[in-house]
Amino acid sequence: MKHITACHECDLYLELPALREGEKAICPRCGHIIRVLGWNALNRALAYALAALVFLVAANAFPFLAFRSQGQEQVMTLLQSVTALYAEGYASLAALILFLIVLIPALLLVGVVYLCLPLRFGRCALAAFPICKWLFVLTRWSMVEVFLIGVLVSLIKIADLAQVILGISFWAYIAFSLVLTAMLANLDRHQLWDWLEEARG
Amino acid sequence: MTSDNAALYSANSAAAKGLALCHTCGKLSPIAIGACPRCRTTLHVRKPDSIQRTWALLLTAGVLYIPANVLPIMQTEIFGRVSDSTIFGGVVVLWEHGSYPVALVILIASVFIPLAKLFALVWLSFSVSRQHQTRPRERTVLYRLTELVGRWSMVDIFVVAILVALIQLGGLMSIHPGPASLAFAGVVVVTMFAAMSFDPRLIWDTLEGDA
Repeated sequence: MKHITACHECDLYLELPALREGEKAICPRCGHIIRVLGWNALNRALAYALAALVFLVAANAFPFLAFRSQGQEQVMTLLQSVTALYAEGYASLAALILFLIVLIPALLLVGVVYLCLPLRFGRCALAAFPICKWLFVLTRWSMVEVFLIGVLVSLIKIADLAQVILGISFWAYIAFSLVLTAMLANLDRHQLWDWLEEARG
Repeated sequence: MTSDNAALYSANSAAAKGLALCHTCGKLSPIAIGACPRCRTTLHVRKPDSIQRTWALLLTAGVLYIPANVLPIMQTEIFGRVSDSTIFGGVVVLWEHGSYPVALVILIASVFIPLAKLFALVWLSFSVSRQHQTRPRERTVLYRLTELVGRWSMVDIFVVAILVALIQLGGLMSIHPGPASLAFAGVVVVTMFAAMSFDPRLIWDTLEGDA
């Protein structure tokens, strides 16, 4: 069955053959990846999303980093990177960071589980379409992996000032970042919309 | 928006056939029906006022770029001695300490990427306005890159957030955020919006004879 579409980036009119697992469709004119269908994509996206939720909870439940200098020790949790800015009078920046590193990824994951879990059983969740609409707006504002690079840069910056101890939450956040990336790689926007439409009938 | 508009778009584009791709769910529908039949989003052949919005956001980002680089991004207090550091100053300090890889990461993420993004989008908008005919594919790839790398500029803001939270030993050793952090976060967010408002399909619309 041919699927009529257009390239999202150059608007070339295209008749796309149905993709098989492991295939992707690339625009012949501008090279944009139009659609990807990974192996067992729905189950994988769901599994990675559930795993990511567990790691996100863990990342918030334990100490993130600890810092020892001149006999004094200070422990920091993930959310303290937000609250400390708030305490310094930078409320808007604190809110932005809270959204970028915790709230948006969390909403994204809950949304994926909410949509994909019923899909596995051939059903379409309640209000699936408006939720799916917002889901993909959120993806580009999730900056988990950028935050992780920020953590590594910070560690190097203060390495000669003091001793830094990596907490359980630090490792949980790394795992969180990895499975979140894997989840996104298995989630194709247009494919998800087609599945939802099919399930709704 | 029917066949009389065909001359405005390249011949084998969906727009020339009176079709519009829903920017939310990716379903192709006749533009005449107004809203996507699947997800109810209003259909547009192209992003509305794309170039104008992109220029406005680029100008905003350009203005914010000045305080972001002139004002201090953070303030370090060690044994009561207070010192301010700017974004570029931070790079220089890291370089002098011999942390070359980290200095490079910050230099690329905080100085090079925002500037490259601004210039790339300015040039893309300009080339579309002037109906340039050359290298449409390369310009589309350039656009894709600006969308891809924009988020990485946020690294410096996260560094400030982490250091402020971690190093709070009062007069002994503490780090405070500076006003440039707000301006720089603004640059990153506004340039991301600028990239989103630019419509790469415009690059292909004005081509004479089809690629």
